[in-house]
Amino acid sequence: MPASLQEVKRRIESTKKTSQITSAMQMVSTAKLSQIQKHATSYQVYATKIRSVITHLSKSHLLDSVNTTSKNSDGKVNTLGMLRQRPVKTTGIVVITSDRGLVGSYNSNVIKETLELIENNHHSTEDVAIIAIGGTGADFFKKRGYNVAYEYRGISDIPTYKDARPLVEAIVSMYDKEVYDELFVCYSHFVNTLTSEFRAEKMLPVSAENMGHDDLTSNDEGYSIEYETEPSEDAILEVVLPQYAESLVYGAILDAKTSEHASSSTAMKSASDNAKDIISSLELQYNRARQSAITTEITEITGAQAALE
Amino acid sequence: MDEKSILTINVVTPDGSVYENTTDLVICKTTVGEIGIMPNHLPLLASLAIDEVRVKVDDENFDEIAVSGGFVEFSDNTLSVVASAAERKETIDVSRAERAKQRAEKRIEEAKNENNDIDLRRAEVSLRRAINRLNISKH
Repeated sequence: MPASLQEVKRRIESTKKTSQITSAMQMVSTAKLSQIQKHATSYQVYATKIRSVITHLSKSHLLDSVNTTSKNSDGKVNTLGMLRQRPVKTTGIVVITSDRGLVGSYNSNVIKETLELIENNHHSTEDVAIIAIGGTGADFFKKRGYNVAYEYRGISDIPTYKDARPLVEAIVSMYDKEVYDELFVCYSHFVNTLTSEFRAEKMLPVSAENMGHDDLTSNDEGYSIEYETEPSEDAILEVVLPQYAESLVYGAILDAKTSEHASSSTAMKSASDNAKDIISSLELQYNRARQSAITTEITEITGAQAALE
Repeated sequence: MDEKSILTINVVTPDGSVYENTTDLVICKTTVGEIGIMPNHLPLLASLAIDEVRVKVDDENFDEIAVSGGFVEFSDNTLSVVASAAERKETIDVSRAERAKQRAEKRIEEAKNENNDIDLRRAEVSLRRAINRLNISKH
């Protein structure tokens, strides 16, 4: 079909251009991924330190969390309240999604699993406060009529603590203001470049389960030393607890971003691969069309010659 | 100086380690007062004020590090300063701190008008952080 010759050629061109873009995006994501992974390692050092100290300090509190109640003097917010279970009226859910698309199933997975979590706990739209990090999640939950207490867009690709600080502080302070009485963070945990898994972690109030997870016991040994404390254990806890909560939220953001870059890099890689397949099949089609055009031409010429003789 | 009388200081923030050195004296300000830590100190946990941590380099010179709160943990001659933000004196961004100061002042005004205690407290903390950075950078 000589008519489609031009058309096929155009399609090859455009697919080639698209694949150039996707492969460039893949490279960008891969570079960002390795950068953020480096960043995550340095964050780990900090997280381990703060966790082991808090485990040490709060051991006595966690055993009898009752004695942390009502120390509200002079109207100051009692941060030890972070250890206290409040009757849950509103559940805060932080949903970390990406701002842009082209990240494969990253966003839909997080949103789907979050919805499931909400449904399983039989929350209605009123007793859930959504804190959306990333535009996709914010738009989704707003459209569904959820109470979006806070939304944050435009988090940087490799979020440093300096950038994320206002955000994590706002999230933790909303707990103090009793916007919600418990806080879950839903995000996609980075396993490796090809896989990520959804995680919903309860971060506030701070309790034994969400502190140190499984390595609670192993950490105990290293920090069984008796510390001299200044001023008092409680006073230090008051400083460390918000810092801990903030670092947890930051850690989740970092993890989610890592997973976002990984999933974007995989999505772009498969897009480039698909483009390559399409180009090769189109090229085949193009060559066939060209061949048949040539054949027709030859038949025409020889036919004309035969007629002349 | 035998090996026992040296302590290692390490300042960690979520953005990585800011400072690492060995020394024989660290002076920092806790929430209740100044404290000097020398090698073989008892294991210690202390919450830090928004102030500076000074690390002795030689007889006259100290390295100064601005910390925004956090705490110190000392054991086995290793001192860890764990803070949400810390900068060496040389790396303080003065214009940023200046801007942060103005922003915090504005927020304090607003919070006072709205009678919002938590916001006020937060704004005051950020103001203190900014002032601390500015002070240290001017030394």
